Amino acid sequence: MLSLYRALLLLYPARYREEYGPEMIAVFIKMQSDVCTGSPMRQVLFAVREIGGLLHGAFCEHLRRLAGLEGRPVFLSRRFSMRSEFRFPKATVSLMVIILAGVLVAIDKAKAIQQSVVYSQSEVGPIHATQQLMLLPTLLIILTAACAVAMIAWGILFAFQRSGSHRLSGITPSGSARAGGRLSI
Amino acid sequence: MSEAVLLILLSLADQPRHGYAILKDIQKLSDDRVCLSTGTLYGALRRLLEDGWIARFQEEDRSRAKQAYRLTALGRRNLQDEVSRMKQLTRVASLRVARKET
Repeated sequence: MLSLYRALLLLYPARYREEYGPEMIAVFIKMQSDVCTGSPMRQVLFAVREIGGLLHGAFCEHLRRLAGLEGRPVFLSRRFSMRSEFRFPKATVSLMVIILAGVLVAIDKAKAIQQSVVYSQSEVGPIHATQQLMLLPTLLIILTAACAVAMIAWGILFAFQRSGSHRLSGITPSGSARAGGRLSI
Repeated sequence: MSEAVLLILLSLADQPRHGYAILKDIQKLSDDRVCLSTGTLYGALRRLLEDGWIARFQEEDRSRAKQAYRLTALGRRNLQDEVSRMKQLTRVASLRVARKET
């Protein structure tokens, strides 16, 4: 078990390992000697807890390092955190309108090309009337569905903001210090 | 503040402790309900050190495998704030529960 523990410690960033590795191993050895006298179930639970703790800890440390969050607590509160400054950019609407206009222009162009070309084979010829009838409702359904999904997503984000969940990201040692020690549960 | 952090701070509130002593004290404080892994403990200790809530306790035996930690003034102040907040919440909760029962 100790060799497995040492191996899992290698998953941590080197700097962290150098600083806390010897301490962690020493504490682990003591804890293991305590558990050795217990039931097999207790030993299994201990092993699972330690392995899980190491994997989670290593993941968090790498995430902090990669995200450049050194000095800022991550996952300490284990709660949903959301950037309070998150807003849909206003440019999104303009961009969507431009894309829609582009699609409509492309459809018009396609129709013009369709009418100008004489087809000898009916299979590759102009779209049949029934297909044309189906095309518009399908596009409308897709557009409506996209709008509905966007509205639902916006509603969820708005609800999270209104509920104050985004402020839970500050429920950390440093966050509480900023908030004058006022911490949520 | 997560429960693990609260328990670590409470463990260091009365005296400096080593990692093993912290784990044992947390088990005792929580009536064996909370058993932290060493990975979780040292992850929290590192963050608390970075935030200045705890500090390394200087001892004669400075072996790296036996490092003790102590609560700083900032950590103690924040712990007191948290305890006050919990007291207030407990008081309100007790009142509400009692009102519901009557």
